[in-house]
Amino acid sequence: MKPDLNLALLNAAQEIINRFSPLIDDEYERSRLGSWGALVLISAMKLDEAGASLDKENQDIIEWLLSNSRIKEDKLEVLKSADLGGRTISFHDENNQKLRRMLSDEVEFLESGGDRVKVLSAYELLRSMHQRRKVSDLVGLLQQSAD
Amino acid sequence: MSEELSKSFLSYYSKISNKEFSLLSFERIFGGASRETYKISVKDSLDSEERLILRISQESSLIETEQRIEYLAYSAFQKSNVPVPVLIDMSEDDSTFNAPFMLMRELKGEAANPFTPNSYSPYEHDIGIQFWSILGEITKKKIDSEIFKTFAADLDQPFWKTELDKWVKVIEEDSIGVEPILEAGIRYLYKYPPKESKNICMVHGDYRSGNFLYSKNKITGILDWEMAHLGDPLEDLGWALSPIWSWQDRDRPAYLIPRDEALEVWENSSNCKVDQKDLEWWELFAAIKGMAIWISAGNEFKSGKNIDPINLFSAWIPGDIHLEVILNTLESKI
Repeated sequence: MKPDLNLALLNAAQEIINRFSPLIDDEYERSRLGSWGALVLISAMKLDEAGASLDKENQDIIEWLLSNSRIKEDKLEVLKSADLGGRTISFHDENNQKLRRMLSDEVEFLESGGDRVKVLSAYELLRSMHQRRKVSDLVGLLQQSAD
Repeated sequence: MSEELSKSFLSYYSKISNKEFSLLSFERIFGGASRETYKISVKDSLDSEERLILRISQESSLIETEQRIEYLAYSAFQKSNVPVPVLIDMSEDDSTFNAPFMLMRELKGEAANPFTPNSYSPYEHDIGIQFWSILGEITKKKIDSEIFKTFAADLDQPFWKTELDKWVKVIEEDSIGVEPILEAGIRYLYKYPPKESKNICMVHGDYRSGNFLYSKNKITGILDWEMAHLGDPLEDLGWALSPIWSWQDRDRPAYLIPRDEALEVWENSSNCKVDQKDLEWWELFAAIKGMAIWISAGNEFKSGKNIDPINLFSAWIPGDIHLEVILNTLESKI
């Protein structure tokens, strides 16, 4: 078995941050290269799970829309991907944008109708989506790697 | 660093100063995404050194702003209780450095990374008192009538609406994906606007940790006025208080002094009273404005117009944090 892509990126990031960046005298260029190292590090950490995360988000949105919105199941059927397999990140992302549009419109509809319980459940979904997606929790790690 | 630019600068500076200078150093500063900023040291024939800051507009920048606005904002606070660099020159045409630029004297001090806790240790208290007090000074400063006229173009509707419309437009133009949290936050702001302010003041537009210089326990300069405009006194306060600038210690805005103390210092200095409900609006607005800036940065990066890593960093990290701030606020309001 060959080393994985994310391992290659992780090592590249460490080399950039710890080995190459300190060799540069120009402060601007050194900082810029160090930043690239940090961003490659984040990419490496998120790469492995990116496709599965998007797919999970899509399934969660579909489930929520089916239980809480005016959208009928047949409109969502085409966006289900769980049983299709072998899909790329861009495939999931394309579906994700369509689902996010539907979700946002439905949240607006629920807000205008004052349905507090359903709006809260939408916020709960939005939080879980955000938690899965966010990279800001890696900031501490980046700071450690820079120290 | 561009040798051509440093040569052009030396020739230009010798000409406007009417004496010959030689270059000691010419370094670009990393970070600012709206201007290319250079730290320059020159000496004259008597070996007298001058330290300067040159800010050149970028063809593709994070925040599209006019050089003149920044220059006028600095002008408004020369020789005031708000420490700002001494201005030397400004040009809006491209003839000197192929882009508009501004030249000023370098102030002593260093700027902190706004995302790093404890940058000001052990002087958080002293710097905190000054930070909030200087913001009060900006709020209460009587603006020169000529400068006022230049800034007064958008006074035909409430400040909150002018600012919200402006940043929502940026979001609409630059978004590269659907963000339901952001859309919900924008709807909330339009639905529950703040009261119209009776006070009109100069708003710095980016008053926060990281945009001032300090030396030990003293703030030596307030920088980065490129988003300055006339507006509501609570706008800068909401931006400076945003949890993004103290994400790892949210009770101590800007990683300085506790929030209650900060507000008290600002009230005493500005002679304004904080309306908590309106301040909450401006704090949510700060997160929406932040998102507009981070989205714009992501767009610059994705389109290839400007692949400076700071644009990708801005789209990823602060973008995540401000979305969380918006969601926290919406949940607390329902």
